[in-house]
Amino acid sequence: MFLGPDGWLGIDTGPVGAVVLYAALLLLAVHLAKNPEDAFPSDAPPAERQAWVAIVFLLLVAIHWMVFVVGMPTLGAAADEISNPASRRFATKVVLLLIGWAVVAAVLRRRNVDGVELDERDLRIQCSASRTGSGLTALLIVLSIVALATQPDRLAPWLRPLIVANALLGLLVLGTLAENVSVILRYRLAKA
Amino acid sequence: MSGLAVRNEIRRMRQEEPSMTQAELARLCGVTRQTIIALEAEKYSPSLELAFRLARALGRNLEEVFTFEEK
Repeated sequence: MFLGPDGWLGIDTGPVGAVVLYAALLLLAVHLAKNPEDAFPSDAPPAERQAWVAIVFLLLVAIHWMVFVVGMPTLGAAADEISNPASRRFATKVVLLLIGWAVVAAVLRRRNVDGVELDERDLRIQCSASRTGSGLTALLIVLSIVALATQPDRLAPWLRPLIVANALLGLLVLGTLAENVSVILRYRLAKA
Repeated sequence: MSGLAVRNEIRRMRQEEPSMTQAELARLCGVTRQTIIALEAEKYSPSLELAFRLARALGRNLEEVFTFEEK
């Protein structure tokens, strides 16, 4: 599912692997609904719990994105079409992950007995983390520009409009992932 | 200026009232319980508005709850 069409190192990564993954995510959602204190640190505020969930789903999206973009040059002429079998598979997986993320986040919000989801301390932490995410996104874009300027021949197979567009989308995903990791780190540091 | 810090008496004042748990104080002030924990551990300096809310919830004046003194 992540690194090839059917298998990787003896692990099924095709349809069966997908079913197992999504079943595991569903079980996780059920577990969160019943025992949120088991799934997260007991001293984690609601915003930190949401950040943990975001990291899990964004990591999965980032892995899918990486596999998709790396494989795009091998698609030939299909890589220049918005809708091709590979892009449809990728879009389906991402949409399923986004739905799963929304479900788990909603379950978590419903289980929040304190009532307050975000307070001023959470907002300060998220503001700082947002700067980290934006900074990393900017850094990745600058690195991409440098790579394009210094190694145009090596990157030629990827210099096609839809591949570049998908790569830019992926950078946004990585920036958001970094933002959520930064949120977790800041909460952990605040407790140290 | 760098040697000064906001100190507070939230934990002591809260414990003077047995019914005032961290969760109850959080509810009264509209923040999470974890923020009350951070405040009591003096790991977080509240906004002026939250400081007033805390003082009101504890039935004290702002100057009784918070001080600005040497670390």
